[in-house]
Amino acid sequence: MAGPAPLGSRLRRYGTSYAMLLPFLALFAAFLLWPLANSLYLSFTRFDGVNPAVLTGLDNFTRLAGDARFRHALGNTALYVAGSVVLGTLLSLGLALAFNGTSWPHRVMRTLFFLPSVTSSIALMLMWKWVLFPSEVGLANTVVSWFGGAAVPWLATPALTIPILVLMSVWGGMGYGMVLYVAGLGSIPEEFYEAARIDGASAWQRFRHITLPLLRPVTTYVVVTGLIGAFQVFEAVYIIFRGTNNIGGVLDSALMIVPYLYDQGFTHFKLGYASAIAWVLFLIIFVLSLVNLRVGRAMKEL
Amino acid sequence: MRRTLAACSTVLVAALSAACATSGQTQTRQADQNAPMTLSFWSTGGDDETATFQKAADLYHQKHPNVTVKVQTLSWDDAYAKLLAAATSRTGPDILSGGMTWTIQFGARGAMVDLREHGIEALKGQAQPAQWESAVSPDGSVYGVPLDMSTLALYYRTDLLKEAGIAAPPRTWQELVDDIGRLKAAGVKKPYSQDWGNLDWIGYFNYLYQAGGTFYTPDCKPSLNTPQAERALTYWVDLYREHGVPTATVEGSDALDTGTAMVVAGNWIALGIDANKPKLKGKWALAPLPAGPAGPTTFIGGRAIGVTSFSKYARTGADFVKFMYSDEAIAAVSGEARKRNISYIPPRPDKIVGGSTFTPDQARVFAEAIGTGKAAPGCPGWDESASDVAKQLQSAILGKSDVRTALAEAAKVMERNAG
Repeated sequence: MAGPAPLGSRLRRYGTSYAMLLPFLALFAAFLLWPLANSLYLSFTRFDGVNPAVLTGLDNFTRLAGDARFRHALGNTALYVAGSVVLGTLLSLGLALAFNGTSWPHRVMRTLFFLPSVTSSIALMLMWKWVLFPSEVGLANTVVSWFGGAAVPWLATPALTIPILVLMSVWGGMGYGMVLYVAGLGSIPEEFYEAARIDGASAWQRFRHITLPLLRPVTTYVVVTGLIGAFQVFEAVYIIFRGTNNIGGVLDSALMIVPYLYDQGFTHFKLGYASAIAWVLFLIIFVLSLVNLRVGRAMKEL
Repeated sequence: MRRTLAACSTVLVAALSAACATSGQTQTRQADQNAPMTLSFWSTGGDDETATFQKAADLYHQKHPNVTVKVQTLSWDDAYAKLLAAATSRTGPDILSGGMTWTIQFGARGAMVDLREHGIEALKGQAQPAQWESAVSPDGSVYGVPLDMSTLALYYRTDLLKEAGIAAPPRTWQELVDDIGRLKAAGVKKPYSQDWGNLDWIGYFNYLYQAGGTFYTPDCKPSLNTPQAERALTYWVDLYREHGVPTATVEGSDALDTGTAMVVAGNWIALGIDANKPKLKGKWALAPLPAGPAGPTTFIGGRAIGVTSFSKYARTGADFVKFMYSDEAIAAVSGEARKRNISYIPPRPDKIVGGSTFTPDQARVFAEAIGTGKAAPGCPGWDESASDVAKQLQSAILGKSDVRTALAEAAKVMERNAG
């Protein structure tokens, strides 16, 4: 490797480019790096937002390890992530396989399934709240009553909470995954399928040995971004399940990591503790994403 | 690898400098209280409510031409976080209003002025004693005083009660249970439900005090391990489990509209019913909550108002807070609230019938509730415990634990958080 060029000539050559990067870098530093660094620092302190922060070392993290509500939030989040990522990815792939053509019906269907992704998530959540409206006038309960069922208290039944959250997330997110998969499918050369057909491969064999392996980079991407998004679930809990005095809904059945973080930081003045939760969440996501990338062996393709 | 290292060290360096940059707070220098000044008042609630308080502020300006008070709306959803941000940066409102315990919490962290320095206790005699008490910090500091009140009532469908042959709304726990039975027998599918406080400690609050119990003893020892608390929770749980009260929360006027015969709901829904549900006009009325073995005690909430410690106009701010209790300020606020058809119960019990926005009949019901009312516990550790207590109550209601265990668990949490 050649040694770096002298600073002067590099500046002359790239000076304008650096200058053009400056505004972005300044914003990036002020609104991303700086708050990030602050939260890392705060995670080692006791800070109520008003009085100066007091360094407490690893106190926040040891307390987190013994916090039953945090463990509960972690468990809920894990279930939710597993459900929404697995179902979301499978359905995205299914939709992509069903509607990957260029004909009009396919385009219309793709647009329909993609619509939730371009709608404001707050609006979607408010709509779900209406669908799940507890009295028999809610849409979900109206449908239930067509089949002769009694009105279900959707939002006050702890066992239904995570399935509902998964349903909302899959419904809202599968269109996005579908579009990625459609692009992935389009990039698989038709010759591979022709060759396989000539060799007598069945449709399933073609899917299993050509489509799936060649979609691996897309799958990795869909799973990793899905994981990150699912771990950070917030609006759904905050808008639909939050009670008057309890962020996690009935019996904390909807308590997830980010709502818990928000609750601790912004309604209980524990900003140091909340920062510690944020960094634990970061570590979890980081490790899971690394594992995923390794398993997908997709580092090079991405 | 080198890049990762560079990124890590950047974050680390920034974190260290963040540590150095966190500054301590300083005492806010007071400005000349006679020069022209503009105070900002962040009011938690809706824009209509802001407009009603602005009327009082305008009146204050007429009397003190050098003082302008600008009222701004903070919505309930993000008010707390915004006030926290204001307190952190020590910039923002001179005066703020919000939930009853907020001023205590901000005050405990040095963000509010102790209004006793400005002679606020002159107002104490005018306020509802229990509500005033709930605004006072455990150490006796007064960082905020009640700005208005809210309470609960039993809203009922006069037509449905009549069909079931019930002449008057239930006055006692026993009558409530009997009436639920009679309504069911008459074919009413949803005899009773709870809006405000459903599955929550606020809902339990009423039953607890009506049975003679309390959350804490007067010296702030948790007291949910009592026979009264058990009796209250047993009755409440039975309402759900034996009498089919829905666990799902439906807003009060929606509940009445969709055929619920009796709903426990907050005072703020009363004025909207006729306007939003025209079909219900003339078919509903109000009554105080049915009384328990120890009486009819009802929860009183409301908003507290206080002056921030980072205000340059603390004395004027405190004077404005006192002004909000004057006859003319209450008249100005309620006049505007009437025009806008929104709920307002002044912080002075003697003004409820004349100074609230309700019809005299409705106002009398609320005045009766407030007369015997009690407010949220102001004991140390309650805010920390509230959601866990609610969780224990929910587990009893949903049949996941029995009443005694749930209360014992709740008491344990309260004990732990009391420190």
